[in-house]
Amino acid sequence: MHTIELKNISKEYNGVTVLNDINLYIQENEFLTLLGPSGCGKTTTLRIIGGFEEPTKGTVLFEEKDITDIPPYKRQINTVFQKYALFPHLDVYDNIAFGLKIKKLPKSEIDSKVKEMLRLVNLQGFEKRSIDSLSGGQQQRIAIARALVNEPKVLLLDEPLGALDLKLRKDMQIELKNMQKRVGITFIYVTHDQEEALTMSDTIVVMDKGRIQQIGTPVDIYNEPKNAFVAEFIGESNIIDGIMHEDYLVEFSGQNFKCVDKGFRKGENIEVVIRPEDIEIVSVANGQLNGIVKSVTFKGVHYEMIIESKDFEWMIHSTIMKEVGTEIGMTVLPENIHIMKKVRAE
Amino acid sequence: MVSRGLKRLYTFLIFLFLYAPIIVLIVFSFNNSKSRGVWAGFTFKWYIELFKDAEILKALYYTLLVAVLSALISTVLGTFAAIGIYNMPGLSKKITLNLNYLPVLNPDIVTAVSLMALFRFFKMEFGLATMLLSHIVFCTPYVILSVLPKLKQMNKHLAEAAMDLGATPFYALRKVIIPEIMPGIITGCLMAFTLSIDDFVISFFNTGNNVSNLSIEIFSMSRRGINPVINALSTLMFVSLIILLLIINKRTEKNEIERGV
Amino acid sequence: MKMKKVAYPYILWMAIFIVIPLFLILYFAFTTGDSQNFATFQFSLDNFKRFFTPTYLKVLGRSVNLAFISTIICLILGYPLAYIISKAEPRKRNMMVLMLVIPMWMNFLLRTYAWLTLLGRNGFINFVITKIGFKPLELIYNDKAVLLGMVYNFLPFMVLPIYTVLIKIEKSLIEAAEDLGANKIEVFSKVVLPLSMPGIITGITMVFIPAVSTFVISALLGGNKYNLIGNLVEQQFRWTGDWHFGSSMSIILMIFILITMALTSKFDKEKEGGGGGLW
Repeated sequence: MHTIELKNISKEYNGVTVLNDINLYIQENEFLTLLGPSGCGKTTTLRIIGGFEEPTKGTVLFEEKDITDIPPYKRQINTVFQKYALFPHLDVYDNIAFGLKIKKLPKSEIDSKVKEMLRLVNLQGFEKRSIDSLSGGQQQRIAIARALVNEPKVLLLDEPLGALDLKLRKDMQIELKNMQKRVGITFIYVTHDQEEALTMSDTIVVMDKGRIQQIGTPVDIYNEPKNAFVAEFIGESNIIDGIMHEDYLVEFSGQNFKCVDKGFRKGENIEVVIRPEDIEIVSVANGQLNGIVKSVTFKGVHYEMIIESKDFEWMIHSTIMKEVGTEIGMTVLPENIHIMKKVRAE
Repeated sequence: MVSRGLKRLYTFLIFLFLYAPIIVLIVFSFNNSKSRGVWAGFTFKWYIELFKDAEILKALYYTLLVAVLSALISTVLGTFAAIGIYNMPGLSKKITLNLNYLPVLNPDIVTAVSLMALFRFFKMEFGLATMLLSHIVFCTPYVILSVLPKLKQMNKHLAEAAMDLGATPFYALRKVIIPEIMPGIITGCLMAFTLSIDDFVISFFNTGNNVSNLSIEIFSMSRRGINPVINALSTLMFVSLIILLLIINKRTEKNEIERGV
Repeated sequence: MKMKKVAYPYILWMAIFIVIPLFLILYFAFTTGDSQNFATFQFSLDNFKRFFTPTYLKVLGRSVNLAFISTIICLILGYPLAYIISKAEPRKRNMMVLMLVIPMWMNFLLRTYAWLTLLGRNGFINFVITKIGFKPLELIYNDKAVLLGMVYNFLPFMVLPIYTVLIKIEKSLIEAAEDLGANKIEVFSKVVLPLSMPGIITGITMVFIPAVSTFVISALLGGNKYNLIGNLVEQQFRWTGDWHFGSSMSIILMIFILITMALTSKFDKEKEGGGGGLW
């Protein structure tokens, strides 16, 4: 059974289309990430699931029931808001207890649930603290606790780590993932940070211009991007025009290469995606392609080099450093050459 | 739907309540009778008589004179004060701000009589000078209160950047800080102007020597019956303010369209 | 940076025109003598003794009572209006805020006086009432007319601060409350109302202070028999010439306002610093 199903969801604001025919299934206990640049429609999708926006067209199903017209306060879904939206007039305890008090649970039950939640987010003893005395990371945890205490079937998280600094963000990524496993519910996570999406998700939904571009596991999305947008957005890529001569044979940069893709028309114009770390540096004699090193930048674990060949500038990530000006050879394994249908130029 | 209708009715009734006396005033400025309450036909005669009424014209002159002068002086005084206060250290800033709040929070009548006592103490003669001084006293705090938020919004390092580039503090003040806080200064100035033009209590206690403004004139008239000439004058002032407002509105709208907002 | 120096002229100004006048009032309040001649002043508590007699206490009581009632009415009428305005779309919202401010551009004495035309024995309202077939009502020169004048003049001072706070409430807080299961009424009572408290407090002080100290509204709409404490102060300074007694009443008025502010600031812990703290 799908926990949430979006069917033909479209959304317009004053005649501008923000979401265009979104279809999506979300499984039970899944960590699903909506990933895309700002303005791609990911937050709007989340808000439609949460009930804060009504779709112009389409239906939202929750456990196979239509909830499109149900107001947020009647949904078994809770949200961790961007910048947390903690109530400034209430202390930590009352923030977490807010939803429980509305359900009119007995005081003792509220007490124990709030305590349990504070333990879950590692903030025992913070009950009486005021919200503005907390650090960003602590506010973040309280916002999660406030949502989880209501035992929702689905937790929506709208760029929850956006306001934190890099180190804290990394720690929270792991913590969030663990939390999701522990409470065993569906997380729907919105972010524009591809690295974050790759680290945490079971499924990634890449969105752009109000459409879903690709749905898949992090490995799929990274290794087999469906189109140039996904390839560009997920990590850095070399994208070059090519021609598919026959199954498993592609030509680009004036050379024929073996590859693992098939099913294209003969002579079809396609685009080739090669990740910078998939290009190996070899001697000029052994190279499938040759080029001259234009620049070298040290990136910590690897060097990033720009190689100029006769019709293209390649980006390479390698632990071997070559001086600027040297000529080198390059090879790519067939399974690292990804062929994508050409999207008609806009 | 019902609740929307209810909201509209409520809003309408409140605004009717706020505007009823104004409508009455405007209507009766065209009434061909001195007595209020009776409608005796349409006339322009009060508007014509207005320009012959030396007493009222003199009051109008003093009202505008004091309003313009006190707005200008309190704007200059208040702007510099705000810049200074903004750069003060904690405690003296707090004390200064609290003192500055006094004329805002104190009832008008207390401010008025305390100034009256001051002028008597210095043996000043009550008249134009005392009225102007007292207006500056109660207008300046409002200027400061509208300039301070703009200073807080301003990037703290702007003035430092200017001086780093070789500007003297005075040059930085003139060319960087003041242009940056201009919206606040203008708001403060307009506020001072309207406060002064509408003031009664402070002026009433701190004038003399036959110097009076429109409010004082109206107050003394209210005992013997209001001269409809005043209605005509108020209507003119009110309408000209509305027109001024519409022009400003049109202009900002046009600017916004040009900038593509 | 030495920018703070540019405030020195104003500090001197405040010393002369704000601090000294208040000390003078204090001085007058605790002395008796010929108000026009400082040489005759002598320390005395007579002014206060005189005030704390039934005649004057009654006036104080009436002033406080009327100011209190008008503040409550302003709050009851003003909060829904502020709420409606804050919910309107931006264009309409700015229009309505402007419409609240515009009446203040017409001389407030005249506007108050115009109510006589509406409420008087031959006024518009009685005209309607008699047309329907009822007896004309006594609408002016009584407490109710003074109350109406206060509510009329000070209502915008209640609406504007509440409105300012309401539009600043982040939408996400309301969504968060809905997300956690609160229906419309619960969202209002548990989130919107507590968050608009600072605006309510400001509104209350901005209505109560001018209402308790007014002498114009009572003079215009209350007739001469309806004295408020403001009228007493006015009489002492303008007509009777007993500045000492007038000053003592001003001091009492100020103390009253300090108490009000202390009471209201108790409810308003979150109030941003910057001023008002010492008072």
